[in-house]
Amino acid sequence: MKNINDMIMVVILLSVLLSLASSRLITLIKIMAVQGFLVSLLPLLLEHHSSMGSGGLIFFQVMILTKGILIPVLLYVALKRIAIQREIEPIIGYHASLFAGLIIILLSVFITDRLHLAVPSGQELILTTAITTMSAGFFLMMGRKKAITQVIGYLMLENGIFLIGTALIKHFHTVYMVEFGLLLDLLVGVMVMGIILHNINHAFDDIDTDLLNRLKD
Amino acid sequence: MLELIFILPMLTGLVTLAVPPYLGRGVLLVTAILHFQLTIMAWLGKLPVYAERFFSETPEGMLVLLVTSFIFLCIACYSMRYMEETGLSNGTVFPGCMLLFLGTMSMVTLADHPIVLWIAIEATTLVSAPLIFLHHSKEALEATWKYVLICSVGIALALLGCFFITLSIDIAEIEISLSFTFLNQVATQLDPMWLKVGFIFVVIGFGTKMGLAPMHTWLPDAHSQAPCPASALLSGALLNCAFLGIYKVHTVMYLAGLGEFSGNILIGFGLLSMFVAGVFILRQPDYKRLLAYSSIENMGIIAFGVGIGGFALYGAILHMIHHSLIKSSLFLSAGNIHLGFDTKIINRIGGLIKYFPKTFLSFFAGFVGISGLPPFGIFISELFILIGAFQTGHPVSAILFMLSMLLVLAGAAQIFTNMSFGVREHEVLVRENVLRIVPPYILLLASITLCVWMPSAMYTAIMNTIKIIGGTIHG
Repeated sequence: MKNINDMIMVVILLSVLLSLASSRLITLIKIMAVQGFLVSLLPLLLEHHSSMGSGGLIFFQVMILTKGILIPVLLYVALKRIAIQREIEPIIGYHASLFAGLIIILLSVFITDRLHLAVPSGQELILTTAITTMSAGFFLMMGRKKAITQVIGYLMLENGIFLIGTALIKHFHTVYMVEFGLLLDLLVGVMVMGIILHNINHAFDDIDTDLLNRLKD
Repeated sequence: MLELIFILPMLTGLVTLAVPPYLGRGVLLVTAILHFQLTIMAWLGKLPVYAERFFSETPEGMLVLLVTSFIFLCIACYSMRYMEETGLSNGTVFPGCMLLFLGTMSMVTLADHPIVLWIAIEATTLVSAPLIFLHHSKEALEATWKYVLICSVGIALALLGCFFITLSIDIAEIEISLSFTFLNQVATQLDPMWLKVGFIFVVIGFGTKMGLAPMHTWLPDAHSQAPCPASALLSGALLNCAFLGIYKVHTVMYLAGLGEFSGNILIGFGLLSMFVAGVFILRQPDYKRLLAYSSIENMGIIAFGVGIGGFALYGAILHMIHHSLIKSSLFLSAGNIHLGFDTKIINRIGGLIKYFPKTFLSFFAGFVGISGLPPFGIFISELFILIGAFQTGHPVSAILFMLSMLLVLAGAAQIFTNMSFGVREHEVLVRENVLRIVPPYILLLASITLCVWMPSAMYTAIMNTIKIIGGTIHG
C-alpha cells in the first residue's frame, strides 16, 4: 500500500508543478481534474481510514465524482462560453512560476520537518504534498490575471486544505454528513464563480481581473 | 425543533426562487414574521434541539439570532415598497436570496460543531453574492467578484484553523466528538501550540468576513453596490455572524488559559480596523461607502472590547446589538435618499431636511447614534469599553481607541451636516413612503429602548455569554 500512496502523492506534486507551468487554460482544467481525483482517492488508501463504514464509502464516491468530474466539467463549460484559451502576460512568468514551485516544495519539506508531528509511518510525504498544494494555489491566485485561473487557484488551495485535514485528523472525528456540507459549499462556490465569470466576460469582453478596477478609494 | 429556525427560511427561499415573481414579496414578509415568532419561541425555551451533535442553544448565538431576526423583519417590511419602486419585484432573485441568506445566518447562530459553523458561514457568502450582483452593472460585477473570491479564500483559511483545533484535541489524546461545548469542557487539556495556530487562522479567516482590517477590502465595495435592504442585512447581521465564529474560538482559548494571547490579537486587529476606517471616512465621496467604513470601525470596536475583556466585554456585546440596529436603520434611510436623488455621491446631495424631512430625522438620528452620542446605545457600550480598557491596564490602547473615534466623528459629522443642511436644488424622483419610513424609526427606537429598559431574559443571556470568559459588570 505504501508505494501506491507515495506514487499518488508524487503525481499530485507533479500536477502542481505542471499547473504552474502551463499557459493553456484547457490543460489547467485537465490537470485540476486529475488532481481532484487523486486528492479524493488518497484518504481511501491511507491506513487510518481503512476501517470505514458504508457511509464513508458513499461519501468518497461522491467526492471523487464531484472533484474529479463535476467541477472540471463546470469549469470546462465556463471556459467554452468565454472563448479564451490562453493566459497571456501573466504577472509572474511561467519559468519563474515553475522555479517558485520548486522552492515551495523545498520549503514545505522544511516546514514538515520542523513540525515534528506524529504522522503514521509511510505517510511522511502527505504533509509536504498538502502544504505545497496549498501554497501553489495561493501562488496561482496572485500570479495570474485571468479570473478563471484564480478560481483554479482557489480549488487548488481547497485541495491542499483537504489533504491537511485527511493527513492530520483522526478517523473518529470524521462525520460524513459534515463533509458532504463542505463538498456542497465547494460545488456551489464554483457554480457561483462560474456565473460571475460568464458575466464578467459579457460585460468586459475579457476575464482579465485588471479590468476590475472601478471601485477605489 | 430548534433547527426549524434555519430550515424554514431556507425552504421558503428555495421555493421563492421557483414560484412566480408576484408571490415573492408575500413569502418574504410571511417568512420574516414566522422566523421572528420561532426565534421568540426559542428564547422562551419551547424549541428543543434535535441534532444535538451539530447544534445547540448558546446564549451568544441566541443574542445574534434575535438581533438578526428582528432586523430582518424590519427590512422585510421596508422591502415591500422598495422592491416595487426599484423593479426588484419583477424577479425572484431578491426575495429568494434574502430568505436563503436569513436561513444560512440563522444556521451560523445555532451551530455548535466548528465545521458546521464553517459550512454555514461559507454558505452565507454564496447566497448573498447574487444580492450584491442584483444591479448587473460593471461595478456590481467587480464588487461581487471581490466579495466571493476574497471571502472564500479567507474562509478557506478558517477551515484550516478548524482542522488545527481538531489536531489539538488529537495530540492531547482526548476522545471526544468535535463540538464547541466539548471543547470548552476539555479546554485546559488541549495542546496549546496548535490551539494558538488554529486561533490565528480562524481570526484571519472569519476576520475577513467580519471586515477586520487589513482583510476588509471587499466590504466597502459590496456594501455600496448591493441594494440598500441587502446592505442593511450585510452590515447589521452578517458581520455579527462572522464575529460569532471568532468569539466561540476565543472562548475556547480563554478557558485553555490562552486568553491573553488571543485577546491581544483581537485588540491589535480592532485598533487597526478603527484607524483604517477613520482615515477612509475623512474624505469619502460616497455615502454608502461611508456607512460601510463605519461598519469596519464598529467591528473593530467589538473586537477591541472582546480582546480587553472584563468590563469591556459587556460593552462589546452591547455594542454588537446596538450597532446592528442603528447601522441597518442608517442603510435603510440611505436607501430612501438613493431612491429620491438617484445618486450615491455626497457632493451632489444637499438639503435633505427640505426635501425629505422624515428621512432626514432617521438619517441624522442614526448618525448621532453611530457616532456614540446619547441617547443611543452605542454611547453606553463605548463608555463601558473605555472604562474596561483603563481598568485592565490598557491606557495606550484606550487613548488610541478614543483618537480613532474622534477621527471618525470628525469625518462623518461634516459629511452628514453637508448632506442634511447644504443648499442644493434637486429633482425628487421618488417621494417618501410610510412603509419605507417606519422601519428605520423602529430600529432606532429599539436602540433607545434597550438603553432604558432591557428584557430580563436578554440581560441574563448577555451575562451568561460573558460570564464564561471573565466578563463582568461589577468592576
